[in-house]
Amino acid sequence: MKHELLSIDGVRDAVRRLPDDALTPIREAALAHLDEHGLPTLRDEDWKYTDLGPAIDISNRWFAAGARPDTSDDIAASVDLITASIDANWLVIANGLIDDSRITIDNGLEVLRFSDSPTAVNMERPLANLNAALLRDGLRIEISATMEKPIGLLIIDSANSAAGVSQASIEISVAPGCDAEIIEYQASTGEGDHYANSVVALHIGQGASASYVRLQNRGKRHVQTGRLSATLDVDSKLIMGSYDLGGRLVRNDVDIDMSEPGAEVIFSGLYIAGDGQHIDNHTKVDHRVGPTTSSQEYRGILNGNCRCVWNGKAIVHKGADGTDASQANHNLLLSDKAEIDTKPELEIYADDVKCSHGTTIGQLDEAALFYLRTRGLDKRRATVILTRAFAVDIVDRIPVAAAKDAIASLVESRLADLVQDVAP
Amino acid sequence: MLEIKNLKTRIGDTEILRGLTLSVKAGEVHAIMGPNGSGKSTLALVIAGHEDYVVTEGTVSFKGQNLLELDPEERAREGVFLGFQYPVEIPGVNNAYLLKAAVNARRRHSGLGEVDAFEFLKLAREKMTALGMDPKLLNRGVNEGFSGGEKKRNEVLQMTMLEPSLAILDETDSGLDIDALKVVAKGINTLRSPERAIVLITHYQRLLDYVEPDFVHVLSDGKIVRSGDKSLALELEERGYEWVREAVNA
Repeated sequence: MKHELLSIDGVRDAVRRLPDDALTPIREAALAHLDEHGLPTLRDEDWKYTDLGPAIDISNRWFAAGARPDTSDDIAASVDLITASIDANWLVIANGLIDDSRITIDNGLEVLRFSDSPTAVNMERPLANLNAALLRDGLRIEISATMEKPIGLLIIDSANSAAGVSQASIEISVAPGCDAEIIEYQASTGEGDHYANSVVALHIGQGASASYVRLQNRGKRHVQTGRLSATLDVDSKLIMGSYDLGGRLVRNDVDIDMSEPGAEVIFSGLYIAGDGQHIDNHTKVDHRVGPTTSSQEYRGILNGNCRCVWNGKAIVHKGADGTDASQANHNLLLSDKAEIDTKPELEIYADDVKCSHGTTIGQLDEAALFYLRTRGLDKRRATVILTRAFAVDIVDRIPVAAAKDAIASLVESRLADLVQDVAP
Repeated sequence: MLEIKNLKTRIGDTEILRGLTLSVKAGEVHAIMGPNGSGKSTLALVIAGHEDYVVTEGTVSFKGQNLLELDPEERAREGVFLGFQYPVEIPGVNNAYLLKAAVNARRRHSGLGEVDAFEFLKLAREKMTALGMDPKLLNRGVNEGFSGGEKKRNEVLQMTMLEPSLAILDETDSGLDIDALKVVAKGINTLRSPERAIVLITHYQRLLDYVEPDFVHVLSDGKIVRSGDKSLALELEERGYEWVREAVNA
């Protein structure tokens, strides 16, 4: 396959079409970096299994068509539906534009725009450069009290033209001693091609905790790349749950930096992929000091002609004694055309550490399937039940109580759909 | 109710049943005994519809219909129940959920509505208490972390909830101590009725002290080589299977 390159002229034109405001110098700087370094290719170790070709193709077509945001109003109904399904304090980024009409600002919560107080952007990541270059505006959320309702971040796009592109960028800080609950919900509507690129930076203060749930339920023609980077202060804690149900090509990067002792991160993930889907989860945890703890478990359910990637990396830096790091990835393959590339990576430069990792790839348990059938359940139902059983631990770990029912029921219907096509 | 004629089956290249004939009528309890490897469990799995076993010859009819044409789930809904020798553990599938789904699958097939959730749980708890099972096991994964005895009781629980027309119990007595055996036997006996038939597969005579069979068959090398009444089981206990083999070969 010939690799199309991202049209830098196209990006430049799109940048120039954005309003000239406080973010202009940052956009120009990001554009210059992008021009110099480009986007990752299959030759980059971290991108070995994931080809950004479809994202580049959609972007170039969007540039050529004038780089206009989708302005169709059919998205409002979806926004209403989603924000009603989970009781949260919602901020919406629709087609790359911030809509803060639904959020209630009270004591302990502040929401700012990047354009109010621009700060430098991390230029090390090519997709973050693309994001900064094309970003209309970003959100800065400061949480300084434990709130009754979780903060909901809905990133939603309507794809009604031939090709659309959108950016979202959010910075969240949780003040020392607070417990925050955050829901990141990514969705899209419409039959056109769309590429959404998001960057979320989360800082958790001393003794604070954040429960972060990330749901990706995009349409089957839609491409998403998303990064969550988290930094953790002394004795802080991050509990994360990540659920990928849709999308054509999805790449999630989770990057956790633990530079202070007593920090702990627990994350769980579930990805469900059917025909034509490619879902890639890359996680990286830097244990820079000890004692710090990280544990992660991702599970994948794959059917039809699809491909998933899981790459979990933990780096225990020199001197980070007392680190405890564990990684697990388990996969259930329902079709012989499904492919999983799974790779746990441990890099250990300290002596006194406890690290473990394990991955499994398996098929449905035939004995269990037969058992259920002898109890009168047809093959499809039995398959759904066993598939759900494989996912149930991760679903039970949805870290934000208010989002549990909604996500569990989306997982349930996604699984029922997925199993429709199980070979008899 | 169940008519098996000249049944031959193989798994892979190995022929296991080699012309087995058996007739079970409503109201009867049959015991099938025989040495290890004689084909007892194969017979049970073939009747339940296990797809690894290929029927090469013979017929199996159940209530007048060709059982071999039905999927395992259809057989179950028609009233065939297999109590497994080694019930599988299914973590993540709630025991009560499966029990209810199984009962409803059978009810729907018979044109009945779904069970009332409250009545269902009440009945299940009663039956569990009668079987000496902790009702808490309802909320665990199916057989997950159950002891050998708990697994066997769970099979009997499912059977008594499903009220099958034909129950085949594959070594339900193995792994049970004498007290548990009595409780399980009582559970099996509650199912005895003129409309139902029970086939007990067992190595030992002791279960038959508590569930009295009308007929006892000896299975050897994939065939029934001897049939009789319950005294045959006692004779086997005394003289061993070698006695039957010698008698057949003589």
